[in-house]
Amino acid sequence: MDNLSTQKEEQVLQGVAASPGIAMGPVVFFGSELVTVEQRTLADSEINREVETFCKAIEKAKTDLQKLVEKTALSIGRESAKIFEVHQLLLEDVLIVDETVKRIREEKKNADQAFLEVMENFEVSLESIEGEYLKARAADIRDVKRRVIRNIQGNAHPRQKKLKEPAIIFAKELTPSDTVNIERNKVLGFAMDFGGRTSHAAIMARSIKVPSVVGLKKIGQLLHTGDFVILDGNSGVLIINPTLKTIDEYKRKFSDYRNIQNKLKHLKGLPARTRDGKDIELSANIEFPDEVKAVKESGADGVGLFRTEYLYLTKSELPTEEEQFNEYKSIVKSLNDQPIIIRTFDLGGDKAPKAISLPPEANPFLGARGIRLYRDEGINLFKTQLRAIVRASAYGKVRIMFPMISCVSEIRYCQQVLNDVKDEFRKQGIPFAEDIPVGAMIEVPSAAVIADIISQECDFLSIGTNDLIQYALAVDRGNEHIAYLYQPYNPSVLRLVKDVIQKGHKNGVWVGICGEMASDPLITMLLIGMGLDEFSVSPVSLLLIKEIIRRVECAECINIVEEVISFGTPDEIVKYLRKVMKNRFQDLYLLF
Amino acid sequence: MIEKSFTITNKLGIHARPAGLLVKTSSRYKSSAFISNEGHEVNAKSIMGVLMLGAAFGSTIHLRLDGEDEQEAMKALEDLIVNRHFDEE
Repeated sequence: MDNLSTQKEEQVLQGVAASPGIAMGPVVFFGSELVTVEQRTLADSEINREVETFCKAIEKAKTDLQKLVEKTALSIGRESAKIFEVHQLLLEDVLIVDETVKRIREEKKNADQAFLEVMENFEVSLESIEGEYLKARAADIRDVKRRVIRNIQGNAHPRQKKLKEPAIIFAKELTPSDTVNIERNKVLGFAMDFGGRTSHAAIMARSIKVPSVVGLKKIGQLLHTGDFVILDGNSGVLIINPTLKTIDEYKRKFSDYRNIQNKLKHLKGLPARTRDGKDIELSANIEFPDEVKAVKESGADGVGLFRTEYLYLTKSELPTEEEQFNEYKSIVKSLNDQPIIIRTFDLGGDKAPKAISLPPEANPFLGARGIRLYRDEGINLFKTQLRAIVRASAYGKVRIMFPMISCVSEIRYCQQVLNDVKDEFRKQGIPFAEDIPVGAMIEVPSAAVIADIISQECDFLSIGTNDLIQYALAVDRGNEHIAYLYQPYNPSVLRLVKDVIQKGHKNGVWVGICGEMASDPLITMLLIGMGLDEFSVSPVSLLLIKEIIRRVECAECINIVEEVISFGTPDEIVKYLRKVMKNRFQDLYLLF
Repeated sequence: MIEKSFTITNKLGIHARPAGLLVKTSSRYKSSAFISNEGHEVNAKSIMGVLMLGAAFGSTIHLRLDGEDEQEAMKALEDLIVNRHFDEE
């Protein structure tokens, strides 16, 4: 009775959004077949045969995994296949194999029991290690464990899961082989008790584009095979036995989401121009050279921030001028005349290069970082990088930006060194672009306040909102105890951004944003209203931001700025922006 | 016998795939290979051992190689950890 009444009630459960999209349909339980093992004590005469059984089971598992590697590489991709290569290594591991054989021989345990014990010990120790990413590896151990035990017990093949009709798969935890073995064309979505965004099941779900919600804790107890559910991979919600009203609501959301995705695709080749004709430069941020491909695929106007720290952080020697030149040149050339802002190294703070010994500091973020390392002995390092960048300017549209500028003399100093470099090249006849635009990164409040004076010394400003927020609000962005104070929508932050844009314009320089803020669709209109000229966003958000830009007019954006500036708290601002954006973009309401 | 210390620079630390690469590389050589993190030492040819190290971003690991091809092995491992940083971020 009790069961019946609860079964009909709608239940909304919050989990972790692991792969975007919306699905609805019946649930099918996917029990990763539990292995049952009975312990026996072997007779002496049985021992050799048992060891042989174990070795054969391992060999068979290796062969099967090889097939799975190939199948996965073909059907999902090489990256996803790599996890099964790790499984193969587990099967060759001396610790695992020797320990199991030892237990069979010395403790006279049956092979499946011995192997189970060994693997469970590892599973427990692995789960105790800090860090979600490694904890998730316990799932790999379990996967290998089941595979081998099935072989020992002679249950050759795992049942290929046949789904009669399309369904949402529920499992306590899907192992990587489960994810691959399920018939993909009938899977509407995945729901899981365990796992986070970095579990393999989540990674695979994203690469095969199946909506997923993980970390639902113990929903297994509330669900029954055949229950109708709605799964929202955008917000991480699972709704069991939804009411007709909820179903209707989600049917709309479902088709809307599809429409949004489809519509955005057409924007790739179109300019980021407002309805009243203002062109906005919409570029992408990159951290590693291989991301250039994603930038080009996303339809960006160029690269708005190329961070160069990786050159200093990954090697024990400093990068030479030649190495850097080749790196920059190949990126600049591959962009086919699209502009790229190369930011000179921003080391110090949380980024300590190996080749330079920086003295320990009590407050590294307020210490020797960014431009502050370019003086004294640091000048050679700075000059080497500038020489490489200036040489690369001969191959495309290079712009240079300096990090952590906090006063006028710093930007003057950088310009001076840059001019020295250019003079040397002129004398030596080395080619470079004469008119390389130079920008100051505005991330320190003192620079924001005098942005009008700083912009007299350069060609553009780019607001680094991530650090500007932390410095303006005196909130360490890595400190979880005060994370609630790290507020991009804080009125002080928004006013600073507005002021910087105005002050830049007063001196005729263009102003961009290269922090997370530029990728946030909720404030795109606000930023357009403030007059922002360039948005440098992460490639995945690019088309969405472009869509918003293309559908608005500057005048209505300016009205939003006036409203927002009158509010005193971040909450009021968010509430207002949500309302405005939901209203203004009713077809995109899912995203606000 | 030769020894050397390295800092782990890929963001996710030595998780499954880097551990796999490390084990594959050290297994190519005859020399014995041991790796330690915060005093905990394991066989660098065992994936389970290397995973158990739990070496996260920024941790310092210590390699100890012993055998006829220890120099070549160290070179290959150094290349993997320092230059290629496990072929990831």
